[in-house]
Amino acid sequence: MSGVTPLFDAIWDDYMFWSILVGAFSFGWLYHHTYYYRAKEGESPNIDNLEVGVFPKEYDNFKLEVTWTVLPFILIVWLTYISWAPLDAVWSQTGPDGYHGSVCEDGQSSNNFIDASGYVRSECYHEIGIEGQQWFWEFDCYGLSEELCATDYATVEGELKPHLILKSGETYLAEMTSIDVTHAVKNPDFGMMEDVVPGQTAYLWMPAVEDTSFLMLCAEYCGDNHAYMIAQITVE
Amino acid sequence: MKNSTSRRLVLLAMLAIAMVVVPAVTSLPAGIAGVKDSGCNCHGTETDSSVTASITGLPETYNASETYAVIVSFSGGPSTDGNMNLGGFNLWASDGTFSTVDDSTQLWGPAEASHTESGNDQRSWTVDWTAPESGTNVNFILHVNSVNGNEGNGGSSGDMWNRADVTVLGFGDAPLPDVDPFKVLATLVVISGVMLSIVVLYIFYRKNPDSFDWENFSPWISEWLTSTDHKKIGTLYFVQGLFFLGVGGIMALMIRMQLAVPGNDFISQDYYNQFFTLHGTTMIFLAAMPLINGFANWMVPLQIGAPDLAFPRLNAMSFWLQPVAALLIFTGVFSGQGADTGWTGYAPYVVTETTHSGVSMWAAGQLMLVASSTLTGINFLTTMAVMRAPGMGWFQMPLFTWSILVANLMLFLSIPAFGVGLIQVYLDRTIGTAFYDVASGGDPLLWSHLFWYFGHPEVYVVIVPAFGVISEVIATSARRSIFGYKSMVYAMAGIGLVSFIVYGHHMFTSGMSPTLRFITMLTTMLVAVPTGIKIFNWLKTMHGGSLVYRTHTLWTLGFLVTFTLGGISGMFFPSMGMDVHLHETYFVVAHFHYVLVGGTVFGFFAAIYYWYPKMTGRMLDERLGVLHFLTAFISYNALFWPMHRLGVVGMIRRTHTYYITTDDFNALPEWAADWNMLISMSAFLFFASNLIMVYNMIKSLVRGDKAPADPWGGWSFEWMTASPPPTPSFDPHNLPELKDANEHVANEPGIFGQMFRRLMVSDDAAEEESH
Repeated sequence: MSGVTPLFDAIWDDYMFWSILVGAFSFGWLYHHTYYYRAKEGESPNIDNLEVGVFPKEYDNFKLEVTWTVLPFILIVWLTYISWAPLDAVWSQTGPDGYHGSVCEDGQSSNNFIDASGYVRSECYHEIGIEGQQWFWEFDCYGLSEELCATDYATVEGELKPHLILKSGETYLAEMTSIDVTHAVKNPDFGMMEDVVPGQTAYLWMPAVEDTSFLMLCAEYCGDNHAYMIAQITVE
Repeated sequence: MKNSTSRRLVLLAMLAIAMVVVPAVTSLPAGIAGVKDSGCNCHGTETDSSVTASITGLPETYNASETYAVIVSFSGGPSTDGNMNLGGFNLWASDGTFSTVDDSTQLWGPAEASHTESGNDQRSWTVDWTAPESGTNVNFILHVNSVNGNEGNGGSSGDMWNRADVTVLGFGDAPLPDVDPFKVLATLVVISGVMLSIVVLYIFYRKNPDSFDWENFSPWISEWLTSTDHKKIGTLYFVQGLFFLGVGGIMALMIRMQLAVPGNDFISQDYYNQFFTLHGTTMIFLAAMPLINGFANWMVPLQIGAPDLAFPRLNAMSFWLQPVAALLIFTGVFSGQGADTGWTGYAPYVVTETTHSGVSMWAAGQLMLVASSTLTGINFLTTMAVMRAPGMGWFQMPLFTWSILVANLMLFLSIPAFGVGLIQVYLDRTIGTAFYDVASGGDPLLWSHLFWYFGHPEVYVVIVPAFGVISEVIATSARRSIFGYKSMVYAMAGIGLVSFIVYGHHMFTSGMSPTLRFITMLTTMLVAVPTGIKIFNWLKTMHGGSLVYRTHTLWTLGFLVTFTLGGISGMFFPSMGMDVHLHETYFVVAHFHYVLVGGTVFGFFAAIYYWYPKMTGRMLDERLGVLHFLTAFISYNALFWPMHRLGVVGMIRRTHTYYITTDDFNALPEWAADWNMLISMSAFLFFASNLIMVYNMIKSLVRGDKAPADPWGGWSFEWMTASPPPTPSFDPHNLPELKDANEHVANEPGIFGQMFRRLMVSDDAAEEESH
């Protein structure tokens, strides 16, 4: 699945590292104690002299408790920090400060590529439209040339579904609206999803870097045929 | 002797062969084994596209019992005029009957026709077909044989055949009468009522077989129906919770059956959508909350040394709102019009015409649950504030009681938002207001805000009491005081506070200001800090202890494993770069089932094994308990662990089916189908394994060993009373007094404690005297 972009891969690996570390620490501790401190056969010693109706004697250690308050806090600040950077890329603004420049002139190409840190960068982008309604998607190429953007129908499991054909190397900004209820565009191969709330216009980057063909799904429950509200997107 | 054995073996072998052969003989769509594949039982070895078979005379949709003249014919192939023979046919129908019209055709059975020898010289035949009465679709399979007529001197060489399939539509479901939803509902209510009465009567009979008469039954049953005793109401809550855990489980099994293979049509989308909606609503509101309230009702007064709750009649009302609410929520399902909005009920879908009418009932039922929860909250908070036994300060309450305090405070502050949202939805749906109607300027995101402002604290409301149970069980089982009692309390309070500022992460993809996204990311991660404190405190509690392995200990350790895993997977969502991949996928499903089943349900299973002897006076069977733990723990992990992987590769939630990668497009990898099958099978095992516990409870109630007052060696007041406790639980004129094993006076509250005291009602006079 090419949906796992380099950006996602990088954070995923970081998170897996920390998860495994935390997991190994906790489970190591748990398994050691459950075995090492188990009661011997038939024995039930009353270590802290628990007695009915008597609040047990205190068992704590201020330094330890502060340690496992502060250390996890530092860890989450670190995790927040590493998750912060991709925010700009995922919801990049348009214009010279963003990752994808401004709208392409006629005949200009985005020439997009993935840079060393895993961000997609483009010289300019093309606008397209996606409209959701119960229960199908409608694509609009906004007058782009046939080569850049074309629509037709594809057969998916015996049913005709909308088909959007994009050009690889080009970056698209989808302007998304819904005419009835809330839907959500999920493009697994672009690694992105965004809700489409009726009455509002949502925007979603669709950086077509490599050749691929995948199903665009509706990821917000929208009624009876929700599961079949799909479209095919081909990048070639 | 030897002879008879071999005779039996031969007999068995013959039976086996017969069993293999018989279906092949009767599976006539294919003809007698092999014949169908090679055409009819005539000539030729391979199919040939130059031969065209056709059936005419059949209608598109047939009428019941009407007779149609069917003309079968073919063209092409080696059959040419002047051959000795021209060809033959075999026509099979899945339903209805054939009859011959002339001597060129004959019948092989009521629904299979073929040519006769005199029909050899034709390319077209006519038979009559009488349609069935059933109205189902009928399939026709025609085989035609184009022959070159060299049968006499070359066998069938050079002959060719081909096949044609035709389906005639039946008149379908039309003759089925429309079901009156209210008749269905009434029938179900009557049946459930009868079954419930039988169960109640049986329990009453078992109680004392000698006094099985109305004079004894009437006071007994009215006592249960009108009781204000916290223990009886606790039991009612508990039974309700377990019952709906089963109902929600059955719905989950339906969902899993549907998803076992891609493209399945076990249930329609219509039912699938109702089932996952009601699975969520049932499990959270009708199973988890009543289970918690059941134990809270039982244990909070016992743990703080109170004779009963502060408002016993209010308590009874809180409970009796629940079954009525449940009936309302399920009303739609009984009539095939159940809520189909997801338990989150996102606007504006929830108020549109395309939803089922049961959504109004669903909203009304949940409104009653809001009322019930609010009343319960008032009751518990008051009880804890004013009815603690002499000597018990805030910071000497057992941790389970503390967890109920924190949970009810959270619920109290969050559930009004949900109530407001539900009222808006209800009004939108019934009298045509426009809170969520976009065309009239309504705001769909308002619902998301109201719902998640409640929804996120709600999931902590469900998990925090489980923390309380685990704290009790692990300390008692390790024969130690809990490590860091105060930090445990602060951690719970911390979770309660943080829960109100994190809900934005449910709306990361709904359009949100970048600044808020960052803030929500940080606050959501913050939840890990208090949760981490609790986990490390539990682990440290075992240090230097002597862990006694009982069933409740096993469930507690199981909880620690699954909850830690669920906590770790929860850390993946606040990270935005990953959230846009994982949002609305099975990774989310895996995460919240790890914390809600592995957390709440495992925690309350531990509670059942821990407090059952106290509640009933009978010990549970330990061997069945261990069996339950092992089977449930393994099947549980096989059920939910693979969902993480499915989520990462992009399988999304709440869909009736899923797509597997083909040559044309990427979707889920092929192994996703196998894993879904594994998940579905594990779901059935998990469901079945929990029946062991139900059996254990019933069996032990009837003939378990008598339980002592303090079977596990706990310290809190509930272990002081007899098992089962008397009514009132403690003598109001002779309340127990809590002693303290610590030398200093632990009653003196710290800084937070003093603040809390000012917020809450001050401690009663009895406690002042104890200083």
